[in-house]
Amino acid sequence: MPRPHFEDLELTLMHGGVAPYYVQRTMLELHEHYEDLESAALARGMSSEEAAREAHAMLGSEQTIASVILAHPELKAWSCRWPRAAVCLRAALVVATFPEAPVMFCVGRGPEIARWSVAVGLATLLVGLLLSSLNSLIVLG
Amino acid sequence: MAQSNPPFMSGVPELLVLRLLASREMYGYELVKAVRLVTDEAIGLGEGVIYPMLHWLEESGALKAKRRTVNGRTRVYYAATPKGHRRLEHLSDEWRRVSSGVNSALGEPDNA
Repeated sequence: MPRPHFEDLELTLMHGGVAPYYVQRTMLELHEHYEDLESAALARGMSSEEAAREAHAMLGSEQTIASVILAHPELKAWSCRWPRAAVCLRAALVVATFPEAPVMFCVGRGPEIARWSVAVGLATLLVGLLLSSLNSLIVLG
Repeated sequence: MAQSNPPFMSGVPELLVLRLLASREMYGYELVKAVRLVTDEAIGLGEGVIYPMLHWLEESGALKAKRRTVNGRTRVYYAATPKGHRRLEHLSDEWRRVSSGVNSALGEPDNA
């Protein structure tokens, strides 16, 4: 019998809005628990096949575990527990950060911005010189 | 394997978990075994479904969890907090009151 990876359970919990912290904790604890059950069964003299079967049975089905976890709203992510608050906060954050976006973009990009400024400056100077020389040619004949 | 618990046992697993974790910290597997042992296998906690209860008790502040690596295995140890001790006292009182009432109805001596 293959060792369980609880991928379906993990997906169900994530889709159900359970906080990622508790999803990871549940996965870790179930894996450890399965190993303990399997080791105990092996120590009692069971074959690896029987030990795995017993560990699966003792741990319970993934559907049962998922339904018990999903029945606890306290374990859900705060954005799932208070969706209206999450929407309002998200909107407020967008409004608050929107004017600061160009500044935030520039922070940490000093060398690129300096190179860009020098390049634009040189291009302006070159175009200016070119236009001046053309102007001089036209004016002076 | 322990028999499944009757529906009127609601709240008892929480009482047992808090009672055991009030005396010493344990991880999930250890706790399930301890419950079986102290109740003479009369009460069996669903092995996989103990974790939602532990997480819920932690979220409510009755338990605190600590991750520790023991012999290469990552264990999450749970222990009762002061809030958990208060909750245990409350649940124990409730249990004594209910069991005394049921014993009285059944005409049996009060164990409380």
